[in-house]
Amino acid sequence: MNPSIIGQMAVSGALMGLVYALIAYGFQLTYATSKSINFGQGELVMVSAFFSLTLTNLGLPYWAMVPGGLLFGALLGLVVERTGVRLALEQKSEGWILLSIILGLFFFSAAENIWGRDDRPFPTPISADPIHVFGVDVTRLELSVAVGVFAIMGLIELFKRRTLLGKAFEAVSADRDAAELMGISATRTVMLSYALSGTVAALAGILVSPITTVGPTMASALILKAFSVAVVAGLDSGFGVVLIGMALGVLESLASFYLGSGWREAPSLTLLILALAVRPTGVFGKAVIRKV
Amino acid sequence: MKRILFLRGAELLVFAFLATIPLMVVNPYALGLLTLLAIYGILLIGLDVTVGYLGQVNLAHVAFLGLGAYTAGLVVTKLGLGLVPALAAATAVGLLLGALLALPALRLEGPQFALATLSFAALSTTALNELESLTGGAQGLSLSRPALFGTTLTPPIFFWLCLVLLALVWMVMRNLLASQWGRAFEALRDSPIATDAMGVGTYYHKVAAFSLGSGLGGLAGGLYAFNFQYLQPQSFVYELMIILLLGVVLGGRKSLWGAFVGATVVVLLPNLLSNRTLFHLFSGAGFAVALAAGLRGLVKKTTRPFQAFAPVVAMGLLAIGGFFVENTEDWRKGIFALMLFSVVVGLPEGLMGFLAIFLAKLFRVPPSPLPEPSNLEEVLPQHAQGDGPLLVLEDLKRHFGGVKAVDGLSLQVLAGTIHGLIGPNGSGKSTVVNVISGLYTPTAGRISLRGATLPQGSLTRVARAGVARTFQNLQLFSELTALENVMVALKGVYRMPLPLVLLGFARTEERRAQADALALLDLIGLKDQARTRAKDLTYGAQRFLEIARALARKPDLLILDEPAAGLAHPDVVQQIEIIKRVHARGVTIILIEHHMDVVSELCDQVTVLDGGRIIAEGAPDEVKRHPKVIEAYLGQASGPEASAAEPQPA
Repeated sequence: MNPSIIGQMAVSGALMGLVYALIAYGFQLTYATSKSINFGQGELVMVSAFFSLTLTNLGLPYWAMVPGGLLFGALLGLVVERTGVRLALEQKSEGWILLSIILGLFFFSAAENIWGRDDRPFPTPISADPIHVFGVDVTRLELSVAVGVFAIMGLIELFKRRTLLGKAFEAVSADRDAAELMGISATRTVMLSYALSGTVAALAGILVSPITTVGPTMASALILKAFSVAVVAGLDSGFGVVLIGMALGVLESLASFYLGSGWREAPSLTLLILALAVRPTGVFGKAVIRKV
Repeated sequence: MKRILFLRGAELLVFAFLATIPLMVVNPYALGLLTLLAIYGILLIGLDVTVGYLGQVNLAHVAFLGLGAYTAGLVVTKLGLGLVPALAAATAVGLLLGALLALPALRLEGPQFALATLSFAALSTTALNELESLTGGAQGLSLSRPALFGTTLTPPIFFWLCLVLLALVWMVMRNLLASQWGRAFEALRDSPIATDAMGVGTYYHKVAAFSLGSGLGGLAGGLYAFNFQYLQPQSFVYELMIILLLGVVLGGRKSLWGAFVGATVVVLLPNLLSNRTLFHLFSGAGFAVALAAGLRGLVKKTTRPFQAFAPVVAMGLLAIGGFFVENTEDWRKGIFALMLFSVVVGLPEGLMGFLAIFLAKLFRVPPSPLPEPSNLEEVLPQHAQGDGPLLVLEDLKRHFGGVKAVDGLSLQVLAGTIHGLIGPNGSGKSTVVNVISGLYTPTAGRISLRGATLPQGSLTRVARAGVARTFQNLQLFSELTALENVMVALKGVYRMPLPLVLLGFARTEERRAQADALALLDLIGLKDQARTRAKDLTYGAQRFLEIARALARKPDLLILDEPAAGLAHPDVVQQIEIIKRVHARGVTIILIEHHMDVVSELCDQVTVLDGGRIIAEGAPDEVKRHPKVIEAYLGQASGPEASAAEPQPA
């Protein structure tokens, strides 16, 4: 087998894997503060992408559209937190799993009816012409994905470490009750984490849409793999998602080559179930000690 | 008895009514709906096992429906076998794959479990689509309904077959859920740790429950295949899964009737969506109910504002949106979402849960009376007078990273004594208890009970070896009654093998278990509150109940982890009384306690820990005067006499 083809597939797989990692990173943000994740995150990715497309169609230039799309994602994140998560967290139940699935379904239905069921192209000023690097073709578009992913993850991490609000975020993640006693509102911090998570989802949508096109089902496969990445790496693994995301991306692009494109999803799903069996807290996750 | 007759009567009536419909109405469409109702009934009863009883969001059930359907289809088309083997194979595939998925997935809780099941469902859709040579892929698989024992299965006969199977499943599940199995399912949802510590294997029961539910999914799949006689992978996707969840949640969790009502809703939904008048009627009614219930909740202050408002907004959106939308079919998913949202937020008990409370008020059917308590001698036999050590710890260590919580502990607990274990906070008492009872695996050292090595690192195996414990932070099965809490833990009563339990042969055993549990409740003075749910008991009563539950294990050694913590004085007095009564039965007790007066009054021997090591041992009065103990509790002792006493060996 030609090594350059393998290299080519590995590189484009890894770049796609970064998108999974970005969505998985969104799960980590909310998991840190509230031990909950949004099961309808894929719909957030999709609806934000559609919204950004509408902004573009309204004549907004690309660089003005991006902040608009991100803001919309943050708003949706807040909606999910308010309607789907807060009540369940107050009742200390796991009702948020079902409720966030329900909200996702509603967003899906709304998108189907507002924007239609067809896949549509997503215009971007970034060129899709290949550049040759070490015998492998990479497009600027694909590189922009990598740049965007690392930029937002870096920014959020900086925010968490350098600003007072970010430190409140870390405090609630470490110990919710203690943080509350120190005068930090856990509810607001959870809201913040959902807003950030929504922003991250929106960026994932904006980055991936030019490559995959926009449609109601654009995120359904994406989200499954993001789940796998989050769980295999561990929901508190930090940058572990980047490594696992890229590895999974490579694995699936090889799988679709050797097994046929229908089996694309199989390796990540199998890996997820296996990882859970062997190491439920994830490869980079912390083991928990049961207390009574 | 009246209650039983009432409930059974209602069941019989409904099934008899359903069975006679094909004789009166000759409408193929209606018959099709009824058949589907029976099939979905079986499917939802299976789903309710995980969603209701285990309390986990299971997104794989639709996959078992699909796998069961394809199995039945392939058995008929490729192997040329008949209907019975096909249905048996479909059920078996559900059971087996369910167990296979459950083995890894059920070590997880909450979101991870939901994700694992979601992945499984996606994986099975991929497999059905891609294994084209077998399943026909996206083209689908056509099959015909084989005859059953020479009888051609015309639509009415096939309906009766489905109805008979539903009735059988109903009966079997009712028997199972009313038995120790059903209690164990509920117990492990409330507290998996306590379920393990009571010798009822949590993991084993979870896997069994999931596998059983999936088996029913497979059976429903088999019937589904013969009903539609054409299968496509696209039929068994996420959207159907959401509808199934809607059915279970709307009907009411943990209820066979709930599953039945849910199935009815699921079957009728498509008609509801296609008929505009029906939709307006239904959404209007839903809005009215949400409004009434919300206002009532607000006035009575039983619900939070969000719980009252959100369903009103959602149902309002549904009712008003119905007039603006061109085609309700297009908004199918959104409509499901709004309905499901309203129910999950506003009516968490579901329709049947709501109705059950209402009906109970209306008819006031008294529960069947409890039997007379057993003789305590049968439940908790008097132990022979003890001689020699019962429990021996040798150089026991447990480290957490660099923290040496227990650091080389050697200890003997004499049979028939109450052995106190005291020490300041962080001295390692709780870790010792957690290591002995199997929650933690020791880093090093040996534990033996009556000279035999005690299993390590397994709560269940330690519990079965004869050690029972209570928990400092209460770990009661909060949704179960006081009586059921004790019944879950009872040892040596449940002997009936599972198949006989399913057929309803466990009733005598159940009476015996009730009587035994009552005897233990009598011992702790809670006999009159046997039917009170554990979470509704007073704090003191909950502490007492922990002891009764542990005693149900008929333990040789009982470990009490701060049984008087947080109790008011009168309760402390009663607690001391209870522990004395237990001790009088000859049970050896390890007592961890902060109240020194409790320790002084009860203990024969006291061991004092500090920093994971023993600093003093002896009778309570000696230990209290020991300078090292005083130092550990009160800080550095000052004065010459303290330092003079220092070199005393501990």
